[in-house]
Amino acid sequence: MMRNGAQVADNLRLLISSSKSATYVEARYQSRVASEVNFINGELERIRVVENAGCGIRVLVDGCWGFSSTSNISNDALKDSLDQAIAAARTLARTKKNKVKGLTESKMIRGTFSTSASSDNLSDINIEQKVQVAKEAEKEARSNKAVKTASCTYRDMLDHKVIINSDGADIEIHDSKPEFSVTAIARKASQSVTAHEGVGVTGGWDDLFKKNNHVEYARIASARAAKLLDARHVSGKKTTVILDPAMVGLLSHEAIGHTVEADFVLSGSVVKDKIGTKVASDLVTLVDSGRSEIATNAGGTIIVDDEGVVAGRTAIIEKGMLKSFLHNRESAMIFGAASTGNARAFQYSDEPLIRMRNTYIEPGVDKLNDMIRETKHGYIIKGARNGQADANGEFMFGAEEVHWIENGEVKELLRGASISGNAFEVLQSVDMVGNEFQYDIGTGYCGKYQPAKVDGGGPYIRCTAIIGGVQE
Amino acid sequence: MLDLLHYAIKQAEIFGASDAEAYAATNNESEVFIENNDLKQAKSQSISSIGIRVVLDGSIGFYSINDLAKSRIRDGAAMAIKIARASPRDRHNVLPNRSRSKSKSIRGIYDRNSESFQTSDAAKRAAELLKAAKSYDSRVSVDSGNFSAQVATHALANSNGIELKERASVFSWSIMGMAIENTEISSFDYQVGGSHYVKDIDVSSTASEFAETVVKSLGTQKIEDSFKGEMLLTPMAANEMIEEVIAYAINSDALQKKSSQFAGKIGKQVASDLLTVEDDATNVDGLNASSFDREGVSHRRNVVIEKGILKKFLYNTYTASKDGVRSTGNAGGSTSSPPMVSTTNFLIKPMRSSIDTLISEIDKGILISRFSGNVNPVNGDFSGVVKGGRLIMHGTIQHAVKEVMVAGNVFEALRRLNGVSRERKVIYDSILPYMRFDGISFTTG
Repeated sequence: MMRNGAQVADNLRLLISSSKSATYVEARYQSRVASEVNFINGELERIRVVENAGCGIRVLVDGCWGFSSTSNISNDALKDSLDQAIAAARTLARTKKNKVKGLTESKMIRGTFSTSASSDNLSDINIEQKVQVAKEAEKEARSNKAVKTASCTYRDMLDHKVIINSDGADIEIHDSKPEFSVTAIARKASQSVTAHEGVGVTGGWDDLFKKNNHVEYARIASARAAKLLDARHVSGKKTTVILDPAMVGLLSHEAIGHTVEADFVLSGSVVKDKIGTKVASDLVTLVDSGRSEIATNAGGTIIVDDEGVVAGRTAIIEKGMLKSFLHNRESAMIFGAASTGNARAFQYSDEPLIRMRNTYIEPGVDKLNDMIRETKHGYIIKGARNGQADANGEFMFGAEEVHWIENGEVKELLRGASISGNAFEVLQSVDMVGNEFQYDIGTGYCGKYQPAKVDGGGPYIRCTAIIGGVQE
Repeated sequence: MLDLLHYAIKQAEIFGASDAEAYAATNNESEVFIENNDLKQAKSQSISSIGIRVVLDGSIGFYSINDLAKSRIRDGAAMAIKIARASPRDRHNVLPNRSRSKSKSIRGIYDRNSESFQTSDAAKRAAELLKAAKSYDSRVSVDSGNFSAQVATHALANSNGIELKERASVFSWSIMGMAIENTEISSFDYQVGGSHYVKDIDVSSTASEFAETVVKSLGTQKIEDSFKGEMLLTPMAANEMIEEVIAYAINSDALQKKSSQFAGKIGKQVASDLLTVEDDATNVDGLNASSFDREGVSHRRNVVIEKGILKKFLYNTYTASKDGVRSTGNAGGSTSSPPMVSTTNFLIKPMRSSIDTLISEIDKGILISRFSGNVNPVNGDFSGVVKGGRLIMHGTIQHAVKEVMVAGNVFEALRRLNGVSRERKVIYDSILPYMRFDGISFTTG
């Protein structure tokens, strides 16, 4: 189904060279084949393969952005689409007050890239194998007697992109992002506990099941749901907590990351005047990177962004100091900074926006056992669930399981609970940072007008937060 | 377009399908975005796509592609068959038959003038929306918004002889932001509007309502003590807190998965007698109005809850087959997904009281403009923060309140519904009144 990349690139180059009236023109071809298989309680709930391909054209004309997209990528159709984008930008020129000043100078990337080093190719995996893993894992989850309801979902996205712009970017990218998740609901009388386990990576089939195979994920989810059924609830208080890598990832992305997206900063985010000031403990270095740093196959890996800028490592917080916001070329120009390669579009028909990639806290020196041993009273918080964070860093996230620590020993497993606080205050309170690193929110999507595949993680960290509330 | 659908079905049959369905849509859209008190970007695009569903010995396959070239449709049909061969059998995988009575097309969802509505017209309306909000009061700050104009054609055919096509135009707009006075920033408010006809586009009343709400949310005072009292929800707050819970409970899919709270309650009282809920795709005030559903079953008005008594669940052909009933015309979804069960236009019937009367009858309570928090659609528990809340004492609005938390259970609250306004608002595909409940717990921070 894949079109010839060289042919597409030729068409886009011709288009870009033909447009003299715009300050900037960008043409992004993207073909995506997405598969989904979902089983619930032994029945096939959903199976589909969806193919979307086309070209998104964005122009900057008279200080205004125009965007158009087309699924037909013949030279004539592309030209029509470009004309529409230019006409759209011109219609704004009459009414827009603050014109776009320009785009910051960035090194424009050229070349062909693959987001994963893995040689195993997801397009060689047939639909039967995808059905099989989802079906078997869902069945396995229900083989635990306490589990009354289970579901399992396999999804993947195979992308082929060609990005050409008038500033010199000329890129072809191959990307493959599979994910797999199991949900088990254990019930007893009126009690019910839900547990999720899963994985999402940038890479191939073997990368997806590298850590655990599909049946093991099901066993982990169902065993957790079953054992939490008998667990007690935690009572609410502000206390010492040890957050697991998934919770560290969620906190980094949701409660810190969004506040430093430059478009958000321009709308008056809480960190707008804080570059160069201390916002976290010295032990905290918080990063957003388009590469899979430290560990392999992070789910939000992009290598190059949709404006043709290298998507490398950006230290948002370095040893406690706020160092950088996340930029595209437009916001970088306004702030007098360099683009950090955070311009991303979900599909060809979406325009690039400032989005995160893999967001994490770097590992430190502490062993988890020492962190527990040195905690007089506190809790380990595991299994990040959805949550919400406000523009001022206030957050509330759900966690699936809580382990009570008393006098340096893990005493008892407790039911999931919510954790809340102000993310910057929580980061100020960090006093131990673990030495083992993991990405663990790769099954997640971030929503901001359009979805984006992101990941996050970190080591275990010890800090102070409010624990409380009941999570069923 | 129908020719292509027949071609897709024919190809699927050649490849071995016992039944096949093809659903295609073309959507021409112009959209202008507002950000940070200014216009941000203009967008114009046309998207066509087709979804092919095949049944092969009781197994289902589905493939969707955004290309209507015959060669691609043929490949898509072959892929759908390949997927069906990998899927387990389920005897309820059936396609609907052609109805014996001639299906009626609804009128009032397509405006011929929409064909000449340009991106520049969308930009004008977006500018008007922004200007109306800003000129209402200098303290108003618009964070984001949009104006979108869409002309969509959708068509469906299946191997049982169903063959349908329809065109609709939809204009919709939204505005979100706050009011700022010195160091005080009000709660965010969010308002939307929409119409099928150019002549019915009214961005200024949406802008005024937004501006009025954020300005009135300024000057907050802290409530001293937590209390139990009345909760008056605006249509937007009812949409955020109540609608999803009811929509989930009346869904036959949730019923069959044993997660509907309404299981076994047909004919029983599930809410106060002030509550009448309808699902009605034939009501052209709702922006989701259309003549037929995602698998070609004619739309009709379904009274789901009448005077508090549960009347029916919503079905598509698959769930209807499982329960041995008829589809209610609630197959939902786009070309990129096989049909699910979903609401079309969700309506709560208006009653006689005016909003002013509802307020005047409150001894102590809070008017909630928006609700930000968690709602569990399965068990109905909600907890979150009141946005744009105003304290009502002895029948009059006193002042805006600072971050008050509200928590409770939607199913319990529905039994305590004690007022429904005659005024209603259209929120895309929902048409909702103001709703008043008693015995609600408010907590101050």
